[in-house]
Amino acid sequence: MRDRLSSSMLTVAIAAAAAGALVSVPVTRASAQAPAASVTPPAPALTTPWGEPDLQGIWTDETDTPLQRSPRYATQEFFTEVQRAELDNERSALLRRDRRVERGTELDVAGAYNALFMTQKRTGARTSMIVDPANGRIPPLTPEAQKMAGADREFRLALLQATETCRSKSVACSGGKYDPTPSPRIAELPPRYNTARMNRHDGPEDGSLPDRCLTGGLPEFGAATGSFRRIVQTPGGISIFYDVGQGQGWQRNIVMDGRPHLPANVRQWYGDSRGHWEGNTLVIDVTNFSSKTDFQGSRDNLHLVERWTRTRPTSLEYVVTIEDPAVWTKAWTVRQEFGKQSDQENRLYYEPRCIEGNYGLPGLMRGARTEELAFAEGRGPHPATKDNATDFVGVEDDPLQ
Amino acid sequence: MRGRYLGSTITVAIAAAAVGAVISASITQTSGQAQSARPAAVGGKPNFSGIWQANNEANWDLQAHAARPAAVTQQGVYPYDFARVPAAPVLALGAAGAVPGSLGVVQGDGEIPYKPEALAMRKENAEHWIDRDPELKCYLPGIPRAMYLPHPFQITQSTNKIHIAYAFSNTARTIHLDKVDGPPDDTWMGHSVGRWDGDTLVVDVTNFNDRTWFDRAGNYHSDALHLVERFTFRSPDVIWYEVTIEDPKVFTRPWRIAMPIYRRAEPNMQLLEFRCNEFVEEFMYGNLRKQPLVRHWEGDTMTVDITRKVPPGDLFYQWYGR
Repeated sequence: MRDRLSSSMLTVAIAAAAAGALVSVPVTRASAQAPAASVTPPAPALTTPWGEPDLQGIWTDETDTPLQRSPRYATQEFFTEVQRAELDNERSALLRRDRRVERGTELDVAGAYNALFMTQKRTGARTSMIVDPANGRIPPLTPEAQKMAGADREFRLALLQATETCRSKSVACSGGKYDPTPSPRIAELPPRYNTARMNRHDGPEDGSLPDRCLTGGLPEFGAATGSFRRIVQTPGGISIFYDVGQGQGWQRNIVMDGRPHLPANVRQWYGDSRGHWEGNTLVIDVTNFSSKTDFQGSRDNLHLVERWTRTRPTSLEYVVTIEDPAVWTKAWTVRQEFGKQSDQENRLYYEPRCIEGNYGLPGLMRGARTEELAFAEGRGPHPATKDNATDFVGVEDDPLQ
Repeated sequence: MRGRYLGSTITVAIAAAAVGAVISASITQTSGQAQSARPAAVGGKPNFSGIWQANNEANWDLQAHAARPAAVTQQGVYPYDFARVPAAPVLALGAAGAVPGSLGVVQGDGEIPYKPEALAMRKENAEHWIDRDPELKCYLPGIPRAMYLPHPFQITQSTNKIHIAYAFSNTARTIHLDKVDGPPDDTWMGHSVGRWDGDTLVVDVTNFNDRTWFDRAGNYHSDALHLVERFTFRSPDVIWYEVTIEDPKVFTRPWRIAMPIYRRAEPNMQLLEFRCNEFVEEFMYGNLRKQPLVRHWEGDTMTVDITRKVPPGDLFYQWYGR
């Protein structure tokens, strides 16, 4: 199975397809980020006219860095220049490729998106966004979290077991097995509130959150369809708008006056952000996530501490510590560096118009009802033998990931 | 191009979809602590930062109207228009489903200068409110409607950008005070370019699509919509908000609306999410469920039975019924 980031990136694409405007945003700064990105130069204090640190502008990560470090780089924190050049060379060969599987198969037409739709940026300096633990990997899950993840995976694989995807041993069925008899589990509720695509479309709740235009939110590390944030400040106030997920943009209004978090019974998709300044760094504590969100298995108990620092006029450092003792055996930390984008070009898609053009979700349900009717009338195969969930086959495997 | 489900004929709808508007916050005169820390000016200009909300009936109908029993009515005992009664979608809500009256926010003679054919469309819109109003589907509300929806919004004012975050459906817009390129396509929320006229913020809004409405009464526009908004402080907690509305495809001349918008002065005020696209999934897609939750889907038509049952424990009713 792919990690959460890439699979959510791909499913977003389906839901938002009809919104039309796949805004491809050219990265304005020619990359070649300084290899010594870890050495933060003493920054001239950039301040707003009212004297607070100035983080304003449109920001994006201008390079591609995997969340977790590939085991082949072991303890190597930074790529060498030679490694980066090789990776860029390999990866640029994939640009605009249209990967196909056997023509006429379900999997071939399931790939709604190919490389043309994906932003591919130059390889970043780091071998992983994760800077703690030192191995660049997400810490081990707790036994309870492993059990839950396993139960969830088993359920999803059961729904796929009678399909061509499992018969042909596609990567989408890895860990599962082919059985021509549909699983009785198709009548069951998932082990927990569903947030990801499954091979069943009984109702909207069977859709993934991106398919339902309910993309999660924080932490936001970007995806191949782009990830931009616009920060606007006012004395004592900060607003951040995220342009992510092809029109699933959302916003944060950071509460900066020192008051406590929301009551525990008030839960939000994007959590509750409380910020304060530590020197030139904006520190934001985020809690109160909704039970309907999921980040790598963490839900309402997710706790983030973000640190935003303007390190150079064109650079914003973002460091976030991620904690949920019920899910991970220790807290872990991700670091990203964002580059400033042109205010005048304003290449930011700030309308979260996903539901307005969501033909995908009703289409999946309409298709499922049609297949059920055809089966009932003896005109078609058992619906559970069809795979209406797997969607990534059109995208090349990025050697960086 | 509209989606299949948009064209569906939903004769009546879940009551909850029609509610929601009548609740508006009570605004007090007490200024919160958060407000006292906010400077009156940013870069020498009046500082509109803070959380705001209109407190009027404009979202029901921009024009003057008497209170009526419900947003959706049907003929009652009498065959008269003035004696209509609530229809099924809102019947179970009692007085909470009724529409409050208003003197309207349209300036001058109070009329909206529709072209004749556009006026006919407006009437048709009103008759098919549940089927057509984008608010019920949680679509982006557009401008100016976002400014007087019964939901708060937050202004974050800097020197080159003013960002407005609306609670309704994650909607946002940025007012550009500096030089900016236009958008690549039409938009739901428009492209907002601002300038200062003394202490008044003047915002020119263009690049609209034709999908949004002005209110629940079917008032609408085309993609030729052009707005000029004016924001002026009346007092530290009241903005006077005026909009000149121009759309030569729909109206015979420009017209204006105006209203106060009030600061949400509660000391602990915070913009909370109202992510309604989740709330409207049944409304939008219920006909496509394997096991319908609403019992009467016939094809794409939802029919709602209203059951009014007095629950045990309604002491007032028991007392009254004795």
